[in-house]
Amino acid sequence: MNEQLNRRLAFLGILIIGLFAALFTRAWYLQVLTADELSEKARANYVEIVIAEPTRGRILDRHGVVLADNIRSGVITVNQSRYAPGQIDFVLEQISTLTEIPIETLKSRLENQQTHPLAAKVVATGLDEYGLLRVSELSLPGVEAKWEMSRIYPQNEIGAHVVGYVGAMSRGQEDRLLQMGYLPSERVGKSGIEQIFEGDLHGKPGRTELEVDSTGRVHRILSQTDPTPGSDIYLSIDADLQAATESYLRQGLIAARKTVSDDSGFFYPAIGGAAVVMDLRNGDVLAMASHPTYDPNWLVGGITALEYQSVFENPYAPGALNNRAIQGLYSPGSVFKLVTALAGLEARLISPRAAFYDVGYFQIPDKYGCTGRCTFYNADKAPLGIVDLSSAITRSSDAYFYQVAHDLYWIRGDEQWAIQDMAKLLGFGSQTGIQLPFEKSGRIGDGDVKEALFESNPDAYNPYGESTQWLPGDNINTGIGQGFVSVTAIQLANAYAAFANGGTLFSPNIVEKVVARSEDRFGSSVIDFDPRIQRIAEFPEGSGVVREGLHGVTSKARRGTAWRAFEGYDSSGYAIAGKTGTAQAEGKNPVLQRKKEDSAVFVAWAPRHDPRYVVAVVMEEAGFGGEAAAPVARRILEAVRAYEQRWPDPQVAFIPPRPECPEIPEALRGYDAFTSYVPEGCPWGIQVPRANNPEDVDGDGVPDLEERSQ
Amino acid sequence: MNLPLRKELRSPLRYADYSLGLVATLLALIGVALNYSSTWRVLEFNGQDPATYAKRQILFVAIGILVMIGATFLDYRLYRDFANQAYLIVMLALVGVLFFGVERNGARAWYELPGLTFQIQPAEFAKVAVVIALAAFVANKDGNLRLVTLGNAFLMLAVPLGLIYLQPDLGTMLVFVAIGMGVLLVAGAQLKHIVVTSLIGIVVVIGMFNSDNLGGPALLRETQEQRLTAFLDPTFDLQGASYNVNQSQIAIGAGGLRGQGWLQGTQTNLNLVPEQETDFIFTALGEEFGFIGITVLLLLYAYMLARMWFVTRSSKDLFGTFACVGALSMFTFQIFQNIGMTMGIMPITGIPLPFLSHGGSSTVVAFGLIGLVINISARKHLA
Repeated sequence: MNEQLNRRLAFLGILIIGLFAALFTRAWYLQVLTADELSEKARANYVEIVIAEPTRGRILDRHGVVLADNIRSGVITVNQSRYAPGQIDFVLEQISTLTEIPIETLKSRLENQQTHPLAAKVVATGLDEYGLLRVSELSLPGVEAKWEMSRIYPQNEIGAHVVGYVGAMSRGQEDRLLQMGYLPSERVGKSGIEQIFEGDLHGKPGRTELEVDSTGRVHRILSQTDPTPGSDIYLSIDADLQAATESYLRQGLIAARKTVSDDSGFFYPAIGGAAVVMDLRNGDVLAMASHPTYDPNWLVGGITALEYQSVFENPYAPGALNNRAIQGLYSPGSVFKLVTALAGLEARLISPRAAFYDVGYFQIPDKYGCTGRCTFYNADKAPLGIVDLSSAITRSSDAYFYQVAHDLYWIRGDEQWAIQDMAKLLGFGSQTGIQLPFEKSGRIGDGDVKEALFESNPDAYNPYGESTQWLPGDNINTGIGQGFVSVTAIQLANAYAAFANGGTLFSPNIVEKVVARSEDRFGSSVIDFDPRIQRIAEFPEGSGVVREGLHGVTSKARRGTAWRAFEGYDSSGYAIAGKTGTAQAEGKNPVLQRKKEDSAVFVAWAPRHDPRYVVAVVMEEAGFGGEAAAPVARRILEAVRAYEQRWPDPQVAFIPPRPECPEIPEALRGYDAFTSYVPEGCPWGIQVPRANNPEDVDGDGVPDLEERSQ
Repeated sequence: MNLPLRKELRSPLRYADYSLGLVATLLALIGVALNYSSTWRVLEFNGQDPATYAKRQILFVAIGILVMIGATFLDYRLYRDFANQAYLIVMLALVGVLFFGVERNGARAWYELPGLTFQIQPAEFAKVAVVIALAAFVANKDGNLRLVTLGNAFLMLAVPLGLIYLQPDLGTMLVFVAIGMGVLLVAGAQLKHIVVTSLIGIVVVIGMFNSDNLGGPALLRETQEQRLTAFLDPTFDLQGASYNVNQSQIAIGAGGLRGQGWLQGTQTNLNLVPEQETDFIFTALGEEFGFIGITVLLLLYAYMLARMWFVTRSSKDLFGTFACVGALSMFTFQIFQNIGMTMGIMPITGIPLPFLSHGGSSTVVAFGLIGLVINISARKHLA
C-alpha cells in the first residue's frame, strides 16, 4: 500500500462523509424546519371537500300563502374566461338560436353580473327539459346546461319590498360567505326578509370530506354531514290585504296624476308613496306597500341591462327598490299636530275647551323681539274663526298650533323641548325596530339637530347664513310637522297606534315566526316573535279631547278635513278616527325642475271606539292629504274590514302584562337571595338572555325598553 | 515459526467481515417492510393481495442472500481471471436486450423470461462485470495510469454506456460514470487527465442537451430535459415534470420528527408519490418513520460504506482494492443520488436505492457486490 493510494482512499472517504452530511442536513430541513408547512400541503393533497347546497327556506304570509319558493329550473351558464375576447359571440349566437333569447340580451346578462370575472354566469333561466337537452347537445366548452334550484316569487310584485329578493353574491361579501360554506354559484338575500333572515333561510350546507388518491379515486369518507334545509319565515302580513293595499295605493297615485295643482298649475307628479296597515293591539304589520314597485323574479335570473334601466333607473319612478314605508322620509305635516297637542297638554299650556280665535295667521308678538320669519299663515290663509283643541284638530287649524308651539318655545327647564320629547315618546326620531333592513330613523328637530345640520352642510341647509340658534319660528314650524321634522310611514302608523291603544308603543313585527325544516325539529318554530313593547306612555289629562278631535275628521257636520273622501262610507261599527296632513316638501323635483308639490298624508285607525287597526298613507307630491291620501286610506280600511270578516277568529290580541317589580332597596340588589326573587324583566332582576323574550328580542340581556331609552 | 504458512492454512471465514452481510440483510428487511407499506393500500383497493410486492421482494432478498453467500466462498482472485469473459457476456446481453427486451416506461431494458413474474435487467449485472473488469484492467497496469491506459479504461466504460444510452436509461449510465471515476481516481489517474476528461464530459453533456438546437438529432429525450429543468427550477410545471419531486418532498416533510407510523402515511398510502415502491421508496420511510427513521437508515448505510472503505485499505492486492472501490463508488453514488433526488437536492433519474427499492436484479446485484467485498475482506491475510 503506497502513500498515494492511501491519500486517494482518504479523499474518497471524506467525499462520502460530505455527501452523507448533505443528506442529513436536507432531511433536517424538510422534516424539522419546514415540517408544518409540508404537512399542511400533504393534507390538502388527499382531502377533497364536497359541499352540498341546502334548500333555501320559504317565505309565507300569516295564513300560509307562499311568497317566496324554490323551483327546479333549467339554467344555462357560460364561463367567459374560457374564451379569448370576442370569441364568445359565436357561442352566444348558437344559444340564442336555440333558446330564442335575443343575442343582445344574452350579452348584457354576461356583462352586467357583479360576480367574479372567472365565475360562470347565468345567461338564461327557466328552461324546460327539452331546452336543456338542445343546449347540452352543442357540447360547447364553458357552457353548462343544468337543473338548479331557483328562487321564485309566486305572487310576483305582491310584498316585493318586504320579501326582498336574492341575487349573486357581491364581490365584497364573497370571501366571507365562501368561508361560511356557501358555493360560489349560490344566491344570497339582497334586501328585505331575504336579506335580514339570510342566516335562517339559507340553512347549513352539507359537507363531505373524502380521502382521495393521486388518480382521484375515493378511498374513504372521512366525515359527512347532510345539508340542513333553511327555515321557513312566516310573515305577519296577509297576502290579500297586501295586494289590496298596493293596488289602492297605485290607483290613488294614478288618480293624483290627473289632478291639477292649485299652486303651480301643473298636474301632480305623484311619483311614489307608501301605505302601512298595522294591528294596533300587538304591533303586527298586516300590509306594507311601497310604490313604485318591482317583480323580484326579474332580479333572480340575471336581468338585462335594458330591463334594469327601464325599471330601476327610470327617472319617473325613482327608487323602485327602496321600501318607502320604512326608508322614505317625509314631513308629516298636520298629522304631527297630535304630538303638538299632547305636548301642549303635558306642559299645561292648553286648556282643552278654551276658545281660540283663528284669524288665518299667527304673528309672533312684538314683545318677544322677532327675528327671522314673524308671520305664519294657515294653509290657504283661511280664517277658521273660533276653535278649541278638538275642533282645531278636526279642522286642522294651523294658527292654533302655531300659538301652542310658540308658547312652548318660551318654556325653559325640563319642558323646553316638550314637542320633541313627546315625538320621541311616540317613537319618532328612532328606528321602530321592525325586522327589515335599512330602516331610517327620521329626524325630530331641536337646537342641537339644527346646529349640527347647519354646520355639516351650510350650502344646503343654510344658504343665507341664518342664525344656527333654535328660533321661535323653528319651533312653530315643528309644531305643524314642517321644518326639521322627517318621519317614515311606519313611524306614523306606530305612533297613532300607541295613541289609539292607550299608550303602548310597540316595535312593529313583520315576522310572526321562523319555522325549522330540519329533520329533527321539522315544523317546530325556532323563533316566535311575540309582541314587543317599546314603552308604555301615559298621556296627559285632556288627551280625550284630542281623541275627540281625531274622531271628527270624517264628519261633514264638524267640517273634518277628510269628510269628502269618506262621503258614503259605511261607518256602521267601523267608524274611523284620523288626521290628514299636507306637507310642503323642500327643494326642487330633480326631473321636472320645478318646486316640489305638497305630499299627501293620512293616518287613521278603526273602529273608532274599539281600535284594532291603524292605516298610514303617504303620497309624494300628490296634493292634499284629505283629497289624495284619505280616499286611498278609505279603500284600504274597507279592505281591512273585509279581511276581518274573512278571518273572523280573533287575531292575536295579546299584550303581555308587565312584570310587577317589587321594591328592593338598592343596597340589597346585588345579592342572590334577593335578586332571585325578582321576576324576569325587572330592572334589577337576573337578566336571562332569551331569544323569545318579548322585552329583549335582540337577546343581549338588556331589556329593549331600557336600551331604547338610553 | 511459519507464520505465513499457518496463516495460509487458516480458514478465510475467520477474517470475513460478517457485519457487512448483517447490515445488508437488515437493510433488505427494512426494504420489505417499506415495499409493503407503499403498495398495500392500492393493491387492497384493487382487490389484490396487499402483500404481493412484499412477498416478491422477500423472494428477491432470499435469492440475494444466497448469491452473497455464494460469492463469499469462491476466492475473489478467480474472478479476476474471468473478468474479460464476464464483461463480454454482459455486453452481449446488453446488445441482446435492445432486440429481444421488453419495453417499460419508455426504456427497452428488461428480459422477460417465460414462467417468471419478474424481469431481468442486464444493466444491473453489467455493473458487477464492469467493476470487476475495470479493477482487473487497472490492477494489471499496477496503478500506472498513462494516457493510453486511461483511454482504454474509458473505452471499457464507453461500450456499456453507449449500449445503455440506446435503451435509454440515463440513471444507470451515471452509475457507470461514478464507478469509473471512483476506480480511476483511486488507481492513480493524473490530475491533469482528470481535469481534461471532466471538461470533455461537461462539453459532451451540454452538447447532448442542446444537440437539437445545434442542428443535430435530439440526443436527450424531452422528459429527461424537463426533469433537469424541474431540478433547477422547483416550481416548473408542478403537475408534470416537478410533480414527483414536489410530492416526495411533501411526503418526507409530512413525516416530521417521529413519522406518521408504519402504514399510516397518507402520501404513501394514496399513491400520491409515483414509483413509490421502487425509485421513491425513501419517501415512504421519510413519511412513516420521520427524521428518526431517516437517521437510523443513514447510519446503517454509513456503517456499511465505512466497513467497505476499511476493506479497501486492508486488501492485500490492488485488484481487491479497486474492485472494492468500484463497489463503494457504486453504492455511494446510488444512495446519494436516490435519496438526494427524493429530497430535492439532486435531479430525478431512475436509480434504485440499494436493498430498499423493489426489484430483483438490483437487489441480487447489491447482495452480490456485498458478497464480493466480504470475499475480499476474508482473504486480506493472503498475500
